[in-house]
Amino acid sequence: MGLVAVKNKGILQDLGANLGSMELMRSEVNARKWIEHTASEITHHDGDCCRQARAWILGMAQSMENASLCESGIRVPHWLSDHFEWGPSEWPISWCELVRLDIIDCGVFSALVREIFQEQGVRAHPGQVVIHYGETCTKHWRGLWDEGAQKLPSLSATRRDERYFPWVGKNLVYHEICVVEAEPGLARLYDSTWGNWYHSDIRNGFGSIVAVRTQAPLELVWGDRTLRSGEWTVMA
Amino acid sequence: MVPTDPIQNLAEIRQIRGGGAVPVYISGMHSGQNPCSGLGIVRCLRDAFSPEQIRLIGVDHWQGSSGLHHDLLDEHWILPPWNQIQNRLHADAIRERLVAGAYWISAMDVEVRWLARHLGTHPHLLAPPLKAVHRTAKPAVQAFDSMGFRIPEYISAKESDADIHAFLREHSWRCWIKSPFHEAARVPNWGALQTFRHKFSNQWKTKRLFVQRHIGGVEETFTFAAYQGELLGAVRMEKHQLTWEGKTWAGRVSELQGEHREDLVECIRSTGWTGGGELELLKDNSGQYYIIECNPRFPAWLYGSAIAGHNLPGLLLSRAAGIEMRGAAADRPRSAYFTRVVIEIPANSEIGIPMPPEPGSFVWSPDGKGLKGGGATVALPSSQSDEDLAGGDAEGDVPQGVTEDNAAVVSEIKRLLSRFRGETPERLTLPENTRGIFHDLESRVRAAASERPRVRIGFSVKTSPTRFHLQTARECGFLAECISQMEVKRALATGFEPRDIILNGPGKYWPLTEAPRTGLSMVFCDSIEDFDRTSEISGIARTRGFRLRVPGIASRFGVPVEDPVIFRELVKRVASLKGRADFGVHFHMPGWAIGLRRWTQALGSILGWCKTLESLSGVTVKRLDFGGGLFPDDLQRLNLSEIQKRVHQALPEVEALYFEPGRALTQSGEIVVSRVLDVRTQKEGRGRKVTECVADACIAELPLSAGAIRPVYLFRRAGGVPGGEGRLTRLQPGKARILGRICMEDDILAGALELPSDLREGDLIVFGNAGGYERSMSYGFGRG
Repeated sequence: MGLVAVKNKGILQDLGANLGSMELMRSEVNARKWIEHTASEITHHDGDCCRQARAWILGMAQSMENASLCESGIRVPHWLSDHFEWGPSEWPISWCELVRLDIIDCGVFSALVREIFQEQGVRAHPGQVVIHYGETCTKHWRGLWDEGAQKLPSLSATRRDERYFPWVGKNLVYHEICVVEAEPGLARLYDSTWGNWYHSDIRNGFGSIVAVRTQAPLELVWGDRTLRSGEWTVMA
Repeated sequence: MVPTDPIQNLAEIRQIRGGGAVPVYISGMHSGQNPCSGLGIVRCLRDAFSPEQIRLIGVDHWQGSSGLHHDLLDEHWILPPWNQIQNRLHADAIRERLVAGAYWISAMDVEVRWLARHLGTHPHLLAPPLKAVHRTAKPAVQAFDSMGFRIPEYISAKESDADIHAFLREHSWRCWIKSPFHEAARVPNWGALQTFRHKFSNQWKTKRLFVQRHIGGVEETFTFAAYQGELLGAVRMEKHQLTWEGKTWAGRVSELQGEHREDLVECIRSTGWTGGGELELLKDNSGQYYIIECNPRFPAWLYGSAIAGHNLPGLLLSRAAGIEMRGAAADRPRSAYFTRVVIEIPANSEIGIPMPPEPGSFVWSPDGKGLKGGGATVALPSSQSDEDLAGGDAEGDVPQGVTEDNAAVVSEIKRLLSRFRGETPERLTLPENTRGIFHDLESRVRAAASERPRVRIGFSVKTSPTRFHLQTARECGFLAECISQMEVKRALATGFEPRDIILNGPGKYWPLTEAPRTGLSMVFCDSIEDFDRTSEISGIARTRGFRLRVPGIASRFGVPVEDPVIFRELVKRVASLKGRADFGVHFHMPGWAIGLRRWTQALGSILGWCKTLESLSGVTVKRLDFGGGLFPDDLQRLNLSEIQKRVHQALPEVEALYFEPGRALTQSGEIVVSRVLDVRTQKEGRGRKVTECVADACIAELPLSAGAIRPVYLFRRAGGVPGGEGRLTRLQPGKARILGRICMEDDILAGALELPSDLREGDLIVFGNAGGYERSMSYGFGRG
């Protein structure tokens, strides 16, 4: 199958080129929200509170980098997934808020790892993916999020739609990762939530990437696909 | 499946020479957590060939090798454990089968070497020849050195303990000890090195152990099949999942292509390789490959390769026996990815399974191989030893190195001992050696004075609070680093001024019954609470600050910056110093334990936190103090100028750097002299060898003996006359031990030494490196 890259709003139509994906996407109530959603960014209060929190994150990253067993190439901040647990976050989220948390969502993980990579001098860009799972998983995740969201202090029922992004679908989920420009023109997709790299040749089945989008300002090749800035690229 | 009588089987083989299924023997059917590849080979061959084409016979030396029970096997052949095998008888039995038309594929490292040695080559023996096997020895793996893989740094385990210890420190104790062909173990500390060096050298009958640096990276293997120097197929496998023991559980297989394949073709040709082979590699994040080892046989995950469409055993047998593989089933890729499962199968009653272990004889082993009566797969053939390497190009004999003794130190010890007549055990100070160390450091500090920040030395009083050591430190212009008010008093009593004292540690105001001494040079607080208390003591010190605990360096000391809430409090307290005191930062970096490389990495981490603190508090760091002590050799190697530059670049306002070398100044400046109380021997040949002796010293005088690296000497006066000239002999590495005098199980003063056969009661045994904490932590015990 050839490359299918589409602009945000046209993705539902263009996904028709791939019947399997189309079927999956059609059954997803929130598909349009995923497609239109911009990559998560951490807000900065422009004060000491956030300056201090950001400095602390980067200080931690530098220390852990120095203690890493890998002494060459990209030093991946594995410590993030040890320090934070994965779960619902309340958006928008600021630096000074997130350092007080034990639980963060994939958007925060992704934004954090980008900052850390950039501090290391590694070109890192926002990455958004739609991943194929199945209802047996998504039901649990929806439950987990519903339960977790109740614990978020300022999240009232009426404001949930504003702050709790509906990332869990029926068979697909929306997820945020980090696109790393490992070599000029070549992309690697790092999932900071779980601390692993994605393989471009896994095109179907549990955990496979159905579509990917990056905000990298230039074209990057990932496997046999070319990722263009701001465009969703269908992988399935 | 039919139980096989070797003789009856031989007759059958002869019968099939004119046609019928070709018998293929596959040896190594262990299928536990650390499996052999036998069952994988069987599954590949059954995919590739019909029962009419080949007959599969599983071979093993242990009934408990569960692959023998698999219904894909047509027959089985269970042999005695390797250490009960008569080499000639077994070689003849295999040779007869080969001659009769059978093929033999070995899945065991041990057997591959045995076959090469005892059978040589045969067109039906699908295993590499001896010259190729020789060249697979770790760490160099010369058979494949033209492939451009790097070899992680290593040191022979025959080098001196001091050199091995230095290597381990250099690589931050992230190392492995390995035998040239089998097994490896992590070495996180000196105790592990001693344990596994002893275990591996006995188990694998080799003196060619080596210690190798750990490389962080993704594990890959290049696996291949070859026949008489012709490469038949090769794949690359990236490991995605590993077991606790580091064995493959899931992976991705692809055909080996490009330069790596071309290079492999050449290596296979030049070694004349036959059979399977596996290169175990690590690929770091920059894409560089390191070779870890070469297994001269197929790997246990082999069927994963067939799943990906690369049936290597099929290719091998097809080429060797000239029989065609069954088309599509053999080469159609089903998935590039494979994973393993654990399943239960009916046990073959003709083979049976081992009896349950008698509880008292149970040896704990994660693989179940350690049970008495079993474990044949790990037993060595009785003939195997370093002889298997003879004639190979593997690492040559490295003489047992012993670090050169410092001639001046030896001479001083001899002079002291020649005069020594006292009771033992006795600790003696080597004043010349000690002054030499102190003054050498003083000179280096003077030499560093032209650069900024300036360098000062803090002498840790706790390492040796003797008047001699304190006065020598003061003569050299060192400061006294104290961890209690008692130590402050001691330093003052020896002539230090308050302004020459650094106060540190979690209990610095002990005893609380006395008012803390004020007017000190610097005070470092171990917690936020400690800082708040210290702030209430007027005039405590010109410089106040914190001891920081940074992530990635295990320590119980200091303020943990990894807690963001505590970090915020820390910033607040540092900001409060503005205009009230100079700000100083202390780091406890146990160079002794983490090694110089990691010490240097930690320095980068520390400077990063200091910059962050400066930027957030608006207060600059004026003084930096590096505590934790250093290993004596590392103190020599510490590049003061380089550190000054790094600090100045990161923190230009720092005025002075303080180093606390700790025991590095005092450890080697003392000895403990003891007398032999008892000599124990064992029969060896016509004579007797000394296996142990008991000395009158014990762990009360040498409390850190368990992990100590020290020279041990035997001193004998010429003609046995006290007061006369003596001969000081450093004891060489060996297998004997020196036990202490007290009834404590851990009272072992030295192990792995050679004791002379004429050792006798009353001889003087001298333990070096007996200063520092060996002195200050010693205690009275067993003296009535």
